[in-house]
Amino acid sequence: MSSTSNINKRKGVKLEVRDPMSFTNKFIVLILSIFTGLFISFVILILSGVSGSALWKEFVVYIITSEKNLSSVLIQASPFVVAGLAAAVAFRARFWNIGIEGQMIFGTIAATYIAINDVGPEPTRLLLMFIAAGFGGVFWILLPAFLKIKLDVNEIISTLLMNYIAFNFLLHLLYGSWRDPSTGFPNSEQYDVSEILPLLGWQSLNFSSVIAVFLVIIIFWLFMSSRFGFVLNVLHASSNMARYMGIRVSLVILIVTIVSGFLSGICGFLVSSGIESRMTQSFFIGFGFSGILISFLARDNPIGILVVSLLFATLVIGGQSLQVFYQIPFAMVQLMQAIIVMCVAASEFFIRYRLIFSL
Amino acid sequence: MVKINQNYKIKMEKITKSFGDFLALDDVTFNLDHGEVHALLGENGAGKSSLMNVLSGIYAPDHGAISIDGKVVKINGPSDARFLGIGMVHQHFRLVKSFNALDNIALTINQTSYYSEKDNLRHKILKKMDEIGFDLDLDSPVGLLSVAEQQRVEILKVLIAGASIIILDEPTAVLTDEESKGLFKIIRFLASSGTSVVLVTHKLKEAKEFSDKISVLRNGKLVDTIIPGKLDDEALIKLIVGEVFAEKPQLSKNFGEEKIVISDLNLHRSNHAIGLTDINFKIREGEIYGIAGVGGNGQAELSTVLMGLTKLNSGSIKLAGYGDITKFRTDQRRKCGLVFIPADRQKYALAGELSVADNYAVAAILRGDLGSWMGVKKLGKQLSTVEAIEEFDIYGVQRLNQNAALLSGGNAQKLVIAREFSSKPSVVIAHSPSRGLDIKAAAFVHRQLLAARDAGAAVLLLSEDLDEIMLLSDTIGVINRGRITAEFASPADRQIIGKAMVN
Repeated sequence: MSSTSNINKRKGVKLEVRDPMSFTNKFIVLILSIFTGLFISFVILILSGVSGSALWKEFVVYIITSEKNLSSVLIQASPFVVAGLAAAVAFRARFWNIGIEGQMIFGTIAATYIAINDVGPEPTRLLLMFIAAGFGGVFWILLPAFLKIKLDVNEIISTLLMNYIAFNFLLHLLYGSWRDPSTGFPNSEQYDVSEILPLLGWQSLNFSSVIAVFLVIIIFWLFMSSRFGFVLNVLHASSNMARYMGIRVSLVILIVTIVSGFLSGICGFLVSSGIESRMTQSFFIGFGFSGILISFLARDNPIGILVVSLLFATLVIGGQSLQVFYQIPFAMVQLMQAIIVMCVAASEFFIRYRLIFSL
Repeated sequence: MVKINQNYKIKMEKITKSFGDFLALDDVTFNLDHGEVHALLGENGAGKSSLMNVLSGIYAPDHGAISIDGKVVKINGPSDARFLGIGMVHQHFRLVKSFNALDNIALTINQTSYYSEKDNLRHKILKKMDEIGFDLDLDSPVGLLSVAEQQRVEILKVLIAGASIIILDEPTAVLTDEESKGLFKIIRFLASSGTSVVLVTHKLKEAKEFSDKISVLRNGKLVDTIIPGKLDDEALIKLIVGEVFAEKPQLSKNFGEEKIVISDLNLHRSNHAIGLTDINFKIREGEIYGIAGVGGNGQAELSTVLMGLTKLNSGSIKLAGYGDITKFRTDQRRKCGLVFIPADRQKYALAGELSVADNYAVAAILRGDLGSWMGVKKLGKQLSTVEAIEEFDIYGVQRLNQNAALLSGGNAQKLVIAREFSSKPSVVIAHSPSRGLDIKAAAFVHRQLLAARDAGAAVLLLSEDLDEIMLLSDTIGVINRGRITAEFASPADRQIIGKAMVN
């Protein structure tokens, strides 16, 4: 067999399956891939005319050194955190809730209803808005949840399509009966002072950060030590085993969708009452999908969601300055998010395989 | 008859392979002659699969050399092995279920053009089939073929690729006796035409009957290579397990009250698939009720119906102390003391990506034994798992948070049994509990079932292995096309039961 020797000389790159990686190593890979994504994004920004020193200033120096910018980042991060949690809760049960934005819209509609009709006494107004927002979000996820549980309808499609219905219903309200009577613009009238999340006393930082941190703690407890979190782990790892062990999978999915919808609704409330002070046509834009990306990057870990949300918020705030001072379109921020996500997704490959170069 | 031939087809010399601290192969020398059927015997984890994975290029050995036809070769991957004429038929088939046989075979060989060579390939396959006497529909999706037919596709795959060395990994594990006989006829034919065959198996009987030589592996070492017939069973078993070992039937001494009564169960399934028809039987406390039958005759349906995982069309299930539990959900039935050992443990009984501790403690946590809804007691979880690992002799757990997927078959099954028996069960449903396990692990499973019975549980044992049924059961029912067609009290006649299974 003369060709036998050919085999031995074969050159190039080979793949080898790795042993399962330790948690620490996985974490290192994750961090490295996020930095790779940032690096690629910055190269693109530099190619489109922004100098490297400007990037350093806008994304690092001005954020850290300016109290105003830092507080903007924190305000921006709160809804990201809650949207990330909403995604994470659903994803732990493998319910792919793509309808966070629709649920945000209905959360905000419910809160705004309380606000413009002045329901309840003033001191409890915000609490009522909070609760109404949560249930508004729940209302918008229940139909896909039932379709999934009873008829096994794919929730990716149903939750996604529900977004469009919610958006058009929002436009119907804003161009109709809820149009701002004082200006005639298609957004709701401005919330009263009692309907806006109070400031905390440092820069423009407000109560939405407290709510976000509180929810992180609750979800952290839910995932890490509660019995329900354990059930979610089992269901996530093997729905077959969950069923065989007597876990009521439909019930778990129902609970999970309710929690996820509630959080989405709260997220809408944080934007309208914490940032915009009214319901607008576009308050929800980007949060739903960012939430999904954040949860993915953080591997559904609540603390991770907090960290990644801060990163995303920094990108947004830095991106806004680039928009103003360098005429870089805001879409560039979404591009950066996408590149980071792609780098992390690609890193999965290196967690499973090792490349061997034989030259 | 063994030919004396120093020019072996394959020589594997001093092969060593380790995984971390674990030595899977320890200085193994294995020779394969031209045109021989060479059985590789050993328990699970003895190193049979590792050795063959080295030969087929899936593992790279740490040390050692392989030569084919007297030439030293280096096998860097499965494609190298294929190039050298080594073909492996895996225990779990590697087929694209929605493709037909022709396309599955086309996938494995390097053709220059799929379309222009398709007819060519079909001729080649038909010719080969004719040669070895195969009958196979090349055009319907492989998923619709029977298991035996799928195996034929796998064998054709390696033959068409031009293999002169064929490795069969546990080929009869999924076949009926009749189908196995057909397979061995083909194996003998291939050997007579010069192909060398390695038969990896843990079934003594077929190794003795159908091979020219038997090599025995134990703990990663090649213990001996012998000629079948030179040693009696007892000596051979001693080679395999290192000690003489034979299980004896132990019938139950005291039956109690009727524990579970199953009446007129009916389950209809679409597409003429076998469901359940008018199933009636009862199990007393302290009794093992064995259900014998060829696989796929309703065993899986019966077990899942009893656990409340499959909804039945009519009938009732009554449990002593609880009354009619027909409408109970799975969690409620588990609360009544029903436990379940499903046939496919990797798919249904364990979550491979969860830790050993999580897999063990899931039952106790769901029962509420380890903490309240507010918090799972992590320490209690760890401690109870450690206890179970010691009590049930589970090997291969280096860390409690190691994934359960890393456990070998026998130890995975021990983990399942440890969990299911962690509360005192009143009814045990065990479906093929020792499938794929080696002699020692199977005996361990059997001891656990007997212990549960002696502690007063009603045990339902569904198994395709008639020897296992005969060994353990106090009463034997035969299931055939979804019906219980016969019932015997032990000890019963093996022949008569065997006949009832296939009639």
